[in-house]
This record gives sequence, C-alpha cells and structure tokens, in this order.
Amino acid sequence: MGSLSGDKGEKAIALVLRYGALVSTLIMALGIGLALLRGSAGSLAAYHRLRPTLLLSQLMRFDAAAVTEVGVLLLLLTPIVRIVAAVVTFAIERDTRYVLISLGVLAVILLSIGFAVR
Amino acid sequence: MDVTWLLFLELLVLGIVAGGVGSLTGIGGGLIITPVLTLLFGVPIHQAIGTSLCCVIATSSGAAASYIEHRLSNIRLGMTLELATTVGAVTGSLVAGLLSREALAVLFAMLLAYAGASMVRRSFKGHVAEPEGEGSYTIKRLRLGLAGSGAAGVISGLLGVGGGVIKVPLMYLAMGVPFKVATATSNFMIGVTAAASAFIYYSRGDVWALITAPAAVGVFVGANLGTHVMRRAPSRWLAMLFSFIVFYFAAMMIWRSLHGGFAR
Repeated sequence: MGSLSGDKGEKAIALVLRYGALVSTLIMALGIGLALLRGSAGSLAAYHRLRPTLLLSQLMRFDAAAVTEVGVLLLLLTPIVRIVAAVVTFAIERDTRYVLISLGVLAVILLSIGFAVR
Repeated sequence: MDVTWLLFLELLVLGIVAGGVGSLTGIGGGLIITPVLTLLFGVPIHQAIGTSLCCVIATSSGAAASYIEHRLSNIRLGMTLELATTVGAVTGSLVAGLLSREALAVLFAMLLAYAGASMVRRSFKGHVAEPEGEGSYTIKRLRLGLAGSGAAGVISGLLGVGGGVIKVPLMYLAMGVPFKVATATSNFMIGVTAAASAFIYYSRGDVWALITAPAAVGVFVGANLGTHVMRRAPSRWLAMLFSFIVFYFAAMMIWRSLHGGFAR
C-alpha cells in the first residue's frame, strides 16, 4: 500500500488539485474585491441555494455576493475532484475493490450535495 | 454586521494564522476559527462552524496538494476510512441543525478541553523522533479504525473541525501506520470529510459566503506559507501556550452559553 500509480499520473493529479484550489481562491478574492468596490454587498446572510437561473443573472451583473458564493462553492467541490481522480487512477490500475470504495465515498458526498440542491 | 474592508482584513488575518498553525502543527484550523468567530466577531455558532468547515477544506487543499504529501499519503487507507468518516460527517451535520447554540457551544468547549489536554500531554512527552516510515507496514485493527473514523466524522460534522486530532493518533497509534504517512493521509481525508459536512451547512444557509471567502483565502495563503517555512518541531512552550489559549476559549464558550451570550 503506498503511492497510487506511475509518477506522471500522480504529478498530474497533484497539479490539478493545486490549481483547482487556486482558482476557487482567486474567484473568492475577486468577489471580495467587488464587494469592496461597490461599497456594499447586500445582506451578509444571503445565499442562493443553488438556483442556477438566479445565480447566473447575478453573475452577469458581477454581483459581489454571487461571485463570492461561486468561489466558495468551487472550494467545496475541490475534494470531490480529488475523489474522482482517485477513482480514475484505481480504474486504470484495474483495482476494482478501490474503485468501488471510492465510488462509495463519492456517493455519500453526492447525497450531501443533494441536501443542498433541494 | 457591516461589510467593511476592516472586517475583511481581520478575517483574512484570522485565516492566515489558522492556516499557518494548522499546517505546521496539524491541529488548529477549525479549533481556532470557530471560537474566534463566535466570541470576537459575534457570528452565530452554526454559521461559524459552516465557515470553519470551508476553511478546513482550504487547509486540506493548500498543504496536502503538494506532490510530496500526495506521495506519502496512503490513499487506499484514506478512502476506506472515509467511507465511515463521511457517513459520520453527514450525520453530525444534520444533528447540528437540531441543536441549540448553547448546546453546540458546550460541546465545542468539551472538544477544546480535550484538544488542550492532549496538547499539554504532548508537550510533556516531548517530540518523539522516529525512523523514516518509508518501509512497508501492515494495517492493523481496521474495524477499530473505521469506528474511530466514524466518530471523528460525527465530530467533524457537528463542530466543524478537521478531525486530525483524532485521526492521526488513530492511524499512528492504533493501526500501525508510520507517523508521516498518518499525517499526510489525514490531511487528505479532512478535506473530503469537511466537504461532506459543508454542503449540508450550506443547504441550511449556514455558510455566509462573505465571511467565509476572506477567511478561506487567508487559510489558503497561510497553509501554503506554512509548508515553505522551516519545519521546526514546535517547542514545549509553544504547545503549552497554545493549550492555554485553547482552554481559555473553552472556558469562554461555556461562560457565554450559561449567560445567554449567544442570542444576538
């Protein structure tokens, strides 16, 4: 039990993960910047419960709260990318057992997301 | 609470400190963020925990994404344990929604006391230097590990902490995993666990994006800075100081919940 697969695969995964987190951080920073520029960002407690249409229209207007929200959501999604990457790597290695285990973890997280989308 | 640049700056600094301490000691992050948000910033505890969970994800992504950590962590073991941890996390998160602010605060204070005590014990025992755990090892007591991970998951979902305080000793002491592998694997796991919880908090409106964003950005910066700083073993005095701070937070949270200080 140790590293997942060949060096190239691992390096690629590590890079993807690092840049994923970086992107979400940049978008969050952008949202904060917008809030500062506009002088106000509406209610602090406002959130969008993943209603795509409303969120999209507010993003078009560069609404500070919406942009920040998207950044936070991307942050929440980065661990999922990690799991998917593991599934793919295990699949390439034909390690059925751990493909199933990883899919199991993914299923629990999707269940959790299910709460958020309702 | 008004949105001002000062507020953002304070949250950013909080994040940097939490991220730095968290990446250097493996403990911190959630343990610091929730009390500070609740006691100093006046954020209700449920929302503070929501923010804290997102910051845990930021810690996990910042430090654990380094290539070396990635190599060291035992992803197979981590995934297996995560089956239990994530289920626990979902459970804990749902239960948290049912608890009052005072109840959650008291539970959090108990966790702080436990963390403080284990830190004091750690500082007295001194830092154990150990051989590089690169060799092969066998995993022992998997069922205990799963049970412990489930419990760690519940605590993570309930109180917004990463769970490293439980997971690292569990893997290192009970399961026969070398210390560095345990730490690296834990770093990988806590992000997954926190994500399972965070979405449920988000669905309750307990993730305030404008509070979370500056803190999370700070944590990302702090965690990355932490891994570049020379890794000196924390001195005994630092660990003692840290545990005093933690005990103080615990006492404050209990005091506040007794005196109705959480009703805004």
